[in-house]
Amino acid sequence: MTPTQAPDPEAAQAGIEYCYAQGWSDGLPLVPASQPLVAEFLATTSRAPDEVIGELEQVGRDCTVYLAAVNAAMAGCLPEYFPVVLAAFDALMRERAARGGGWQSTSGPAPMIVVNGPVRHELGFNTSGGAFGPGFRPNATIPRAIGLIVRNAFGIRPHVLEQATQGLPGRWSICLAENEEESPWPPFAIDGGQPAGVSAVSATLLRTCEFVDNRHTPDPEQVLWDIADTISRTGSLIFRDTSAGVVFCPEHAQMLAGAGYAKADVQAWLMEHCGRTGADLRRAGKNGLRGIARFADPDESADATFTRILPSPRHVPLVVAGARNAAISMVVRVFGEWSGTATPLAPLPAAGERPAVGLKT
Amino acid sequence: MPALPSRETTPGPPNLILDPTGTTTTTRTAKPRAPRARRPASLRGATVGLLVNTKQNAAPFLDELGRLLKERYGATGLVARTKVDFAQPAPDELIKEMAASCDVIVTGIGDCGSCSASAVADGIAFEASNLPAAAICSDAFGVTADAMAELHGAPGYRYATTPHPVAVLTPDQVRERAAQVLDDVVALLTA
Repeated sequence: MTPTQAPDPEAAQAGIEYCYAQGWSDGLPLVPASQPLVAEFLATTSRAPDEVIGELEQVGRDCTVYLAAVNAAMAGCLPEYFPVVLAAFDALMRERAARGGGWQSTSGPAPMIVVNGPVRHELGFNTSGGAFGPGFRPNATIPRAIGLIVRNAFGIRPHVLEQATQGLPGRWSICLAENEEESPWPPFAIDGGQPAGVSAVSATLLRTCEFVDNRHTPDPEQVLWDIADTISRTGSLIFRDTSAGVVFCPEHAQMLAGAGYAKADVQAWLMEHCGRTGADLRRAGKNGLRGIARFADPDESADATFTRILPSPRHVPLVVAGARNAAISMVVRVFGEWSGTATPLAPLPAAGERPAVGLKT
Repeated sequence: MPALPSRETTPGPPNLILDPTGTTTTTRTAKPRAPRARRPASLRGATVGLLVNTKQNAAPFLDELGRLLKERYGATGLVARTKVDFAQPAPDELIKEMAASCDVIVTGIGDCGSCSASAVADGIAFEASNLPAAAICSDAFGVTADAMAELHGAPGYRYATTPHPVAVLTPDQVRERAAQVLDDVVALLTA
């Protein structure tokens, strides 16, 4: 398209401003969704437009396939991304934290979406450098679609039903396509119960991401100690147990695998070594336990005791993402705990199977 | 062959920008006004329900309120229950149980994004079971509590507030706070 054939910019601007004026935007421009565009989204699924795909009981709102399609279109998704949006939303709604008060929480958690399988290349996901973004349309627009669904279909808006104290960088923008090609380990979707080779989406909520830059040692155990130090910081501890995943860069993952570590070995090592002494916890006012909640207990008797904080391998999800150009991995701080499940992508409907697109407006 | 209608006279359905909220397509925005329970003239002889939402200091706060309601306002019984899932509405069985065994109920403390809204939603649900309720929220969560009341058909629903923060108060400070909010709670529960 030459500049003279480009669409009328004033019409485009008017559509964008209309969406702002309705209060639909997350702050960035939206693509105005039209019936023909949304029909293209709905044609990628055999699910009926009025099927309810998520309900938030406490606010009395739900989301249908149709509303998800409108929000995905507005987020800038292409129609062919829609099966991934639906799988990501299904995956999130399996997470207890997302069904409960997560979207309203003062912690303002971000979904982390992990995509596995052939769909990564079919749709042009970024599977290497800059895994946390930005720069790639599917990685950027699919999590944004989830954010718009929460805002518009569930009606959870900042300062009203959404009460994030500070929020975090990256809310509605974290969608990793695992670097399966350079990972020494089986894909993450297999940990979530899916067979090899299947396109699937996993999701959980994060409170933040914290880098571990260790290009300093050839010793994999030293790298693990460095990661354990980040996982074990007291500021992130609020309950007896915590959950922290690691998004390994290929270099760290290959170093560990080369030394004989399977994923389960890394998880076991971190479960064993992550934690703090009673004295460290007391110094930060988090040594006491009332039920599962931590509180400041003046009792010094457990000062010398080392307290472990990761109760099971499911609390230490491991993903491989990013480029192989530096030894920089990311600790991802899970809000609540990951369900341990991956959601397979539904196959595209055959021509005859598509539901009649009777759009409701 | 009849002439085809011109585009000017019979335009097809207009190509509108679609609404992503769904609220214009349902009746859920037009909720009936939520009912309010009939209030007793006083708490003398009353059994008071205490619904603790597990937030830090909620239990000692409501315990102290219960003690003061007995000591100063003549309440005679206390029924304390805990709502573990603080973000979610109180389960129906719990609402039925409290409505059957209590004359009034106090719920809280709303001290987080979801539980403040939820404490108010529970208060409104108790009212619908004819159980006068007083929800208590930290004053940092007024907007979300009010928004929840509106969602549940009770715009302007009144609840008691205590200054933020609550979680870090010492036991003595918690007792002080309970005493400070006591009269507001009684005013919410009685006619």
